[in-house]
Amino acid sequence: MATVKLTNVKKVYDNKVVAVHDFNLDIKDKEFIVFVGPSGCGKSTTLRMIAGLEEISGGTVEIDGEVVNDLQPKDRNIAMVFQNYALYPNLTVFENMAFPLRLKKNPKMSNDEIYERVTKAAEILGITEYLTRKPRALSGGQRQRVAIGRAMVRDSKVFLMDEPLSNLDAKLRNQMRAEIILLRQKIDTTFIYVTHDQTEAMTLGDRIVIMKDGYIQQVDTPQMVFDMPANLFVAGFIGAPQMNFFDAELKKKDGKYYVEVENGRFEVRGEKAKMLAEKNVGSQKITLGVRPEHMSITHEKREDSLRSRLEVNEMMGSELHLHMVTENGKKIIVRVPTLTMDDETKKHLSYGSELFVTFESKAMHFFDPETTNNLLI
Amino acid sequence: MSAKTEQHHMRMSTKNRLSNTVIYIILILMSLIWLIPFICIVLQSFRVESTGQVGYVIPKQWGLDNYVTLFTQTSFPKWYLNTLFIAVVVAVIQTVIVLCMSYTLSRLRFKGRKLLMNFMLVLGMFPGFLTMIVLYTVLKDLNMIMENAVPGLILVYVASSGMGYYVSKGFFDTIPRSLDEAARIDGATRLQVFYKIILPLSKPIVIYTALTAFMAPWGDFVFARYISNNNSAGMNVAVGLWSWLQRDTISQRYTLFCAGGVIVAIPVTLLFIALQKYYVEGVTGGAVKG
Amino acid sequence: MTDLEYLKLTKTQKFVYGLKKFFVSIPRWFANLGKAIVNGIGGFFAFLGRDLKEIGTTFIQGDWKTKLSFLIMGFGSIARGQVLRGLLFLLFEVVFIFYMATSGVYWLGKLSTLGTVGPHEEYNETLDQYVMTYGDNSFKILLYGILTILFIIALIYTWRLNVKQNRIAEEILATGKKLKSGKDDLRSLVDDQFHKTLLALPLTGIIVFTALPILFMILVAFTNYDANHNGFSNALFTWVGMSNINQLVTWNNGSTNFSATFGEILTWTLIWAFFATFSNYFLGILVALMINKKGIRFKKLWRTILVMTIAIPQFISLLYVSKMFSNAGIVNGMLIDAGIIGFDGRIPFWDDPTLARVMVILINIWIGIPYLMLIATGILMNIPQDLYESAKIDGANTTQQFFKITMPYMLFVTGPYLLTSFIGNINNFNVIYLLTGGGPANQAFSTSGGSAGYTDLLITWLFKITTVDSNYKLAAVLGIAVFVVCAGISLIVYNVMPSMKNEEDFQ
Repeated sequence: MATVKLTNVKKVYDNKVVAVHDFNLDIKDKEFIVFVGPSGCGKSTTLRMIAGLEEISGGTVEIDGEVVNDLQPKDRNIAMVFQNYALYPNLTVFENMAFPLRLKKNPKMSNDEIYERVTKAAEILGITEYLTRKPRALSGGQRQRVAIGRAMVRDSKVFLMDEPLSNLDAKLRNQMRAEIILLRQKIDTTFIYVTHDQTEAMTLGDRIVIMKDGYIQQVDTPQMVFDMPANLFVAGFIGAPQMNFFDAELKKKDGKYYVEVENGRFEVRGEKAKMLAEKNVGSQKITLGVRPEHMSITHEKREDSLRSRLEVNEMMGSELHLHMVTENGKKIIVRVPTLTMDDETKKHLSYGSELFVTFESKAMHFFDPETTNNLLI
Repeated sequence: MSAKTEQHHMRMSTKNRLSNTVIYIILILMSLIWLIPFICIVLQSFRVESTGQVGYVIPKQWGLDNYVTLFTQTSFPKWYLNTLFIAVVVAVIQTVIVLCMSYTLSRLRFKGRKLLMNFMLVLGMFPGFLTMIVLYTVLKDLNMIMENAVPGLILVYVASSGMGYYVSKGFFDTIPRSLDEAARIDGATRLQVFYKIILPLSKPIVIYTALTAFMAPWGDFVFARYISNNNSAGMNVAVGLWSWLQRDTISQRYTLFCAGGVIVAIPVTLLFIALQKYYVEGVTGGAVKG
Repeated sequence: MTDLEYLKLTKTQKFVYGLKKFFVSIPRWFANLGKAIVNGIGGFFAFLGRDLKEIGTTFIQGDWKTKLSFLIMGFGSIARGQVLRGLLFLLFEVVFIFYMATSGVYWLGKLSTLGTVGPHEEYNETLDQYVMTYGDNSFKILLYGILTILFIIALIYTWRLNVKQNRIAEEILATGKKLKSGKDDLRSLVDDQFHKTLLALPLTGIIVFTALPILFMILVAFTNYDANHNGFSNALFTWVGMSNINQLVTWNNGSTNFSATFGEILTWTLIWAFFATFSNYFLGILVALMINKKGIRFKKLWRTILVMTIAIPQFISLLYVSKMFSNAGIVNGMLIDAGIIGFDGRIPFWDDPTLARVMVILINIWIGIPYLMLIATGILMNIPQDLYESAKIDGANTTQQFFKITMPYMLFVTGPYLLTSFIGNINNFNVIYLLTGGGPANQAFSTSGGSAGYTDLLITWLFKITTVDSNYKLAAVLGIAVFVVCAGISLIVYNVMPSMKNEEDFQ
């Protein structure tokens, strides 16, 4: 239970490579923060600096108001779960979980208390029956539970998790993800969670920190990150399949906004038009972003549509992923729910058939092609 | 199965059987070549009709005379005890030193680590014997040569043993670093990480290091000869037995050498065969990791 | 050439291209080396400059405690309550001053001459006769001279540390935090300074018993330290500059001098190392393949028989085998008994130069195959089976599988081992010395640098020069030469083989 504050935190390696640039973040008490980004973006490095496993090259890390830069990991009162579980192979599950408790000094913990705590944590995680086993006799999911258990038994101020689910298979990962959400309600402490998986980030985080090349791209709630991505990178990173981007022209005429993409012309209406006007955006070249799930297809040409050719039709069950190529050779993906699709459209869904793609104003994201920033922020 | 594939199968298995036969013949021949010298040495140690070299293998007269002489009329027991004592002490101290060194270089990161490793790499390219000229004079001042060669030899073996850290560093390198990190977050000091987490996982490499350290003094010739400097009381078995095969001694001592060789080889070989598994792990790991 | 163009080349063209690239890269490599050295030196002086400046600012900006610490080491630390640290600094300074005053200055003063007063006869009044009197001891002067210089370097380093400590302490106090106590210092020795604790003992051993002696011997190469100048009882030795090194590098055709002997022995050493390394390597792999072949039974038995040669101390097996092949040995005896050779037709295994050389290589195979068999077995087990399965499906037969999968994999993972083993064979004292003692003697060698023989390696020659001739100066030169050879080979290999470069790649 603690706040964590990072001020101008920096990591420079011996070979002068800068892994993390001026990192500033205020983490509130009991908040669940997720660092997400592609590999090499500095998310793990930042986490490891908070843990004390990596030296801090510049700036300060505070836990509960105390600067911990020079403290050893053991003196920071944190718990951490590792990607490869890092269970001690020579110790039983019980001893693995008891390990941090046995090392505790002033006051030293009694054997009974240790037993109490470990069995309680084991019960919560459903690993009571494995307590006498060695880690190598456990499956991946069970090992991960033990690792979480080991971190749980101590009342640490901050709970750090470094890609805890990425060594599990897809099914188990979904299950464990749900369990982490449950766990969070039970232990009620500050969480910092690192992942490269945007789904995990969206489902787990109170706030998400999206990073790239050592820089923070955006810090916000999952909803805001999805609805109002700060730049092209965030827009492309969050959401699957990826957001479609077009080179487009924003035209302002008689107080109305139009977007011209290839041969299509879309009027911007409603909320988005108001926001553009508020920001006083003029006519300019833009990068237009539209999420695949916000696009729809028709088979007759309209002014606000793009002529495209279907290349691949992926049947996902409840929806179709249509991979298409526009007239200008731009590859896009459209997600179409199967339930509401009319028969006429279904007929046209074969390789090479011509379709028209359209979308509403609500779905449009406007980015500056030069700075890649969202024009509405 | 069609007739054709069956025929094919037959052909394959005949071919296979033929190549296996060839391999068996080679292996049997090799085994003979590898064993003959050892069989000869054992047989000749029981020869009592003459003490020099002869042109035949099977003794004409069998007896234990050589072994009796070895233990009653020569310095061999002294050499044997010298070597055993050296081997045991060196095995213990060297294991500790090598573990300290390799653990540090493998799992701890500190300023000057790369420099230190390069320094040792460079040092290791000088012939080790070169140091002997200086060390001999120093040991002479400390009165650790000739009949007192045993402590001197121990000192020399042990002192530089930190340079032989490669194999066990290779082993430590394979233990995931996150174990250390997890333990340190759990509240362990680095010392506790060392003896509570890593050491219990290191049994194979501890045995390997101790085994090689124990075996080396039995075969060391260069340092032992130089430090004992022809003084019988300070020799190890290698130098002592070597001195029996010189031009002026071989005719009286050849069969004694064989007997001595057998007495030395038996315990060392048994120990080695018993711990073979660890040795194999060590050398393969060492070779792969450099 | 682009990658795609390269792919179009035939095998020979690719080889030629690779070769060309390798040779072209050599000058670039040397240029880089030169650049690195220049940068290193430049960096050193830049560092020195920065350091001096920092020392200056520490003094100017420091309080009186800091200023006094420049003279009395550890004073600042003690005055600020870090008593343990301070006392250690102070102790070091006191010991240093005591040592310098009592003997350091003496040794240092004599270092440039290595002694002036040799052994001589001196008139003794009480005995009323001339007695032998010993003066300086060159050996000790050199040894303690080096020690004193190292001590001075250590003092400068410690002094710098002491100054730095003051600066750090001042900075910490300025931010209002507390300094580390002696207890904290001790505690850190099992935690963030644990490496110091672990390295203390091993490093002391290496420095005192390896680094120092080697430094000493490198310096001996520039003196005339030998049997006639042993530095004490017969004559002092002194600096002679490059003359020993010159003996090694001046090639004087016709007469048998040191450099000619060196040249021949070096050539043989390299030939030996090459054959010893690669014969063992390939035969060992072959044996491992045979033993591990599917359908071969008694695997453990074959392995154990071979492994015996590792277990039995080499001096027993090698000495015994050496005697087996001697003129009076079993092999000749049995051949005579069998009537294959006549009584005076004994095969001179150890007396014929070429035969002796072949014999040592063959017997080394006998010694070496088991190691390689073990190593190769371990690696063969690690080759992913699916590689073979996919090769079989692609239509590769057993031989092709061996050359396309097994060997490349082996070579890749054992690259570093091959280098170590090559260097090890250059320095393979036991096999040569116990088998032949370096013999048969080469008459051409006998006048120069000891009783070297045809099978002598640099290392056994070095041993003989030291033990038989007590020619320490040449031994030192030879030692340096061995180093240069080993270092040269390693450097080339390191730069050619990609698998050797990155330590972390193997982790």
